[in-house]
Amino acid sequence: MITRRLQRVSLRVTLAMVLLVPAFPLFWMLSSSLKSPQELMRTPPTWLPSEPTLDAYRTVFDVLPFGRAFANSLLVSGVATLSVLVTSILAGYVFAKYRFRGRDALFWAMVATMFLPPIVTLVPLYWLVSQLGLSDSYLGVMLPWLANGFGIFLMRQFIADVPDDLIDAARLDGAGELRIVTRVVAPLVLPAIVTLGVFAFVFYWNNFIWPLSILQSTEKFPVVLMLSQLLSYSTSVQYQNVVMAGAAIASIPTIVVFLLTQRVFVAGIARSGVKG
Amino acid sequence: MTTDVHTGTPAAPGRTRRPAPARPSERRWAAIFLSPAMLVIGIFMVVPILLTVWISLHEWSMFTSLGDMTWRGLDNYAGLWSDAGFRNSLRNTVLYVLLVVVLTIPLSVLLGLLLYFPTMRGKAAIRTALFATYVVPTVAIAMVWGALYAPTYGPFDQILGAVGITGIGWLSSPDTALISLVVFHVWQMIGYYTVLVVAGLTQIPGELYEAARVDGAGFWRQTTSLTLPMLGRTMTFVVLIAVVNAIQVFDPIYILTQGGPAGSTEVLSFTIQRTAFEYGLAGQASAMAFSLFLLMVAVGAALMVAMRRRR
Repeated sequence: MITRRLQRVSLRVTLAMVLLVPAFPLFWMLSSSLKSPQELMRTPPTWLPSEPTLDAYRTVFDVLPFGRAFANSLLVSGVATLSVLVTSILAGYVFAKYRFRGRDALFWAMVATMFLPPIVTLVPLYWLVSQLGLSDSYLGVMLPWLANGFGIFLMRQFIADVPDDLIDAARLDGAGELRIVTRVVAPLVLPAIVTLGVFAFVFYWNNFIWPLSILQSTEKFPVVLMLSQLLSYSTSVQYQNVVMAGAAIASIPTIVVFLLTQRVFVAGIARSGVKG
Repeated sequence: MTTDVHTGTPAAPGRTRRPAPARPSERRWAAIFLSPAMLVIGIFMVVPILLTVWISLHEWSMFTSLGDMTWRGLDNYAGLWSDAGFRNSLRNTVLYVLLVVVLTIPLSVLLGLLLYFPTMRGKAAIRTALFATYVVPTVAIAMVWGALYAPTYGPFDQILGAVGITGIGWLSSPDTALISLVVFHVWQMIGYYTVLVVAGLTQIPGELYEAARVDGAGFWRQTTSLTLPMLGRTMTFVVLIAVVNAIQVFDPIYILTQGGPAGSTEVLSFTIQRTAFEYGLAGQASAMAFSLFLLMVAVGAALMVAMRRRR
């Protein structure tokens, strides 16, 4: 009886720890962003802000065009995500439901590209995009990532489970292939579309090395690149609140998107078993 | 079900039932539907790999036209081995990847077991917290960790100072900087691997546990003799993804250490980016990039073979 209770208590403690470790840095980010410079310099540091203030959030927008950066990120991530969804659904449908010679080889070749680290092709990508006259442009930021192997893989996985009978019935009713994809297949694989959409959005929102390499003009910077401009501030304790406020603002969209979709998203990942 | 949830390997596409024979029009639609994805992947992924190899055989400042390249043959590759900076980068990268894998395997299994087995409250909150760390921008949360690791006034030193531990250099000491970055990396990614482990656990048939219980096996015995062996394939897959993610780490290095102190966190992706974009040595950078690619392919192939064996 006592050992059982002990077991339960120790399990509770473990669970609390497991909750604390991932949450603490996020808590520290919010807590520090709400402190005043005076409070930041206090020793020992306070855990919670004694007089919470939103000053730092105002300062971030004063020292850097953060609003513009936010809009840039929304534009680039939004368009790229849409493109990935469309290209992946179409390709996934073909690989799941059509039969032609070389299909499987082509499928695996395209899927394999998802393991290709961007750093390996950074130099030629920069050259290619420059040759197209697209360096330092929004299109140049998006172009190399408008389709990817992970999306095709995920969509093929889910579309393969759509019964062929449904598709054949639609064909008998005279529906064209495009109509079958948009009206029959897409609604049935909505969880996969949500999973891929969230994955793609988070990927483009967080992408750093490519915009860092291809962009020069500050007014085209996405949020994370703009945020890295605050690095010089992070060495001074009294500006810690501004850095943390910037980090919090940059994190908000990904966290919101994740919280809204987490049930479907986590299940989709468990099923796909692969990171893009 | 045509999907093997266990590791995400799709069933061979040929196995899907195909009632209608392929019609001539299918070929046309296949071409139309595949072309957008094929164009993007072909032009911006396949062609660049070939270009990387081509550029790596030349001397070229990447800011001039391709015509200004000078043929160097394999000189760039030969040069890498005598380049102490590259050797340091390679060593740091291998160390980083190994440390990430060594921490990720036990942690993801423990967290996976915790989230899968007991029926108790709080699991959803843990899953949310674990995954929130995964979706936040690495650049943003790395800046937060910079503050956490700050000497003396940072919260880590404050907490440890309270129990009498002082003087850990974290990011400012060459002895601890790399492992500090590894800890951050694992912290951010572990939720993702945990979900994969939970998916693997759900694939173990319940009857096996019934049988084990009938045989009188307790929880510990069930875990070591049944759960862990059955997780083999899942874990091989987790390691594969962990290696792919760790081998290309860039953002936290750029934000937190810029390769320092004393080159102790200089990893390949950081060296490649700097060699190309700051020193304008695209040939050398491409030789490094293709070496990194080969390293990754080798590790990946070894793991794939291991995974097949476990089938």
